[in-house]
Amino acid sequence: MFSKFQHVKIKGMSTVVPEKEINIYDEAKYYGNNIKKIDRMRKIVGFHKRRVVEEGTTASDLCINAADILIKEMKLDRNQIDAIIFVVQRPDHSSPANAYYIHNKLGLSENCIAFDIRQGCTGWVYGLYTAGSLIESKAVKNVLLLAGDTPSSGVDPADRNVAPVFGDGGSATFLEYCSDEINDSYFNITVKSEGYEAIIKPASGYRLPFLYNEKDKELTEWLTTPTGNKERLVDLHLDGIAVFNFTMNCVPPNIEELIEYSKINKEDIDYLMLHQANKQIVQTISSRVGFNDEKAPYFSFEALGNQSICSIPTAISFNIKDKVQENKNKILCCGFGNGLAVASCVLNLDKIYCSGIRNYKPDENHKSREEYIDYWKKKIKGE
Amino acid sequence: MKQEEFLTELEDILQREDSCKVEDNIEDYDEWDSLSKMALMAFYDKQFGIKISLSQLSELKTVSDLIELAGENIQ
Repeated sequence: MFSKFQHVKIKGMSTVVPEKEINIYDEAKYYGNNIKKIDRMRKIVGFHKRRVVEEGTTASDLCINAADILIKEMKLDRNQIDAIIFVVQRPDHSSPANAYYIHNKLGLSENCIAFDIRQGCTGWVYGLYTAGSLIESKAVKNVLLLAGDTPSSGVDPADRNVAPVFGDGGSATFLEYCSDEINDSYFNITVKSEGYEAIIKPASGYRLPFLYNEKDKELTEWLTTPTGNKERLVDLHLDGIAVFNFTMNCVPPNIEELIEYSKINKEDIDYLMLHQANKQIVQTISSRVGFNDEKAPYFSFEALGNQSICSIPTAISFNIKDKVQENKNKILCCGFGNGLAVASCVLNLDKIYCSGIRNYKPDENHKSREEYIDYWKKKIKGE
Repeated sequence: MKQEEFLTELEDILQREDSCKVEDNIEDYDEWDSLSKMALMAFYDKQFGIKISLSQLSELKTVSDLIELAGENIQ
């Protein structure tokens, strides 16, 4: 699906990561203290450091923090924000939409619409596409797009298929209508839904709900995968080979098609910001579509982990903060992952505000798990 | 690419301290795991423009089989 917008401009973006860092070399016990094996993983797939939230911190917390930074430092008028969109896979609750909680926390106007989008690693591009559609149609003028995820939450540290890959992060992007300049952006979204089981949490919704009785044991029973990994139905199931094949077969053509559709010369694209799946995937895709490491960096994966929905804003903030603040840059962004789907776009980041990577600071009213339980018990009992 | 160069690349990809020989049984290498196979897939793609699958790699017996996969790219 190809689309072109002519009146949508990104004005600023901010990224927040948790302070807690895990280094793969501190996890040698999971590899039988085989440092050589860790060295190989470090070299081949780029496993090194990742940031993870403390228990009780959610994607909405990270994104509210990122939005606060953006609003304050760009001096945005909260009353002028017409829509808030939250792209998330791990919301605070299954209902209502998490965007309402954020809307309230940020003190936005009652005329500002609020809704969630549920996407994985394609999420930031999907969010830009949705925000862009609203702006291009003139339904709204200013959109605050929040995109964040905490893929580390609920993951057993011993799950070596999943735990070392992911880091947590939250981002905020501000987009507005622009009439007076040429500012084309292009999108290409490819959906390969036959692969929807390749990245999935089988028991995480209403298909296999918890029944709060003996039968729940089946959902938490440990199963052994062919590679000897331990996994439950409630865990993230990641078919690495299927995902790798999908990535290699579907991502490069999607990018090539987008470049052709946009009629932009490849040489005029300043950066290729790929979803930071891992170092090797980023390197292989970028070399196949003709970009080197400097133009298509993988460094935020090594420093912060694969941040799912947030990984492209993080890659921009981490690698080219000064460039997007000082100059006009044409950037091709591409997210790919669960669905399975590929979503890419070509954007102009022209002297925008960019926060760089900031550490998450919990607000003073942040409640721990125990405090939340207590809060709700009292509320329900009418105390 | 010369055969010797390829063997050096292979040692680097596998991060083997011992040298790789054409007649070696690749399944005997401790380092012959999914990580190495993925790295080799990427290497063949980047270096030779050849797409190989994981199942192709899993069927290989010797280093010589691996060289054969690259066809005329390895002399």
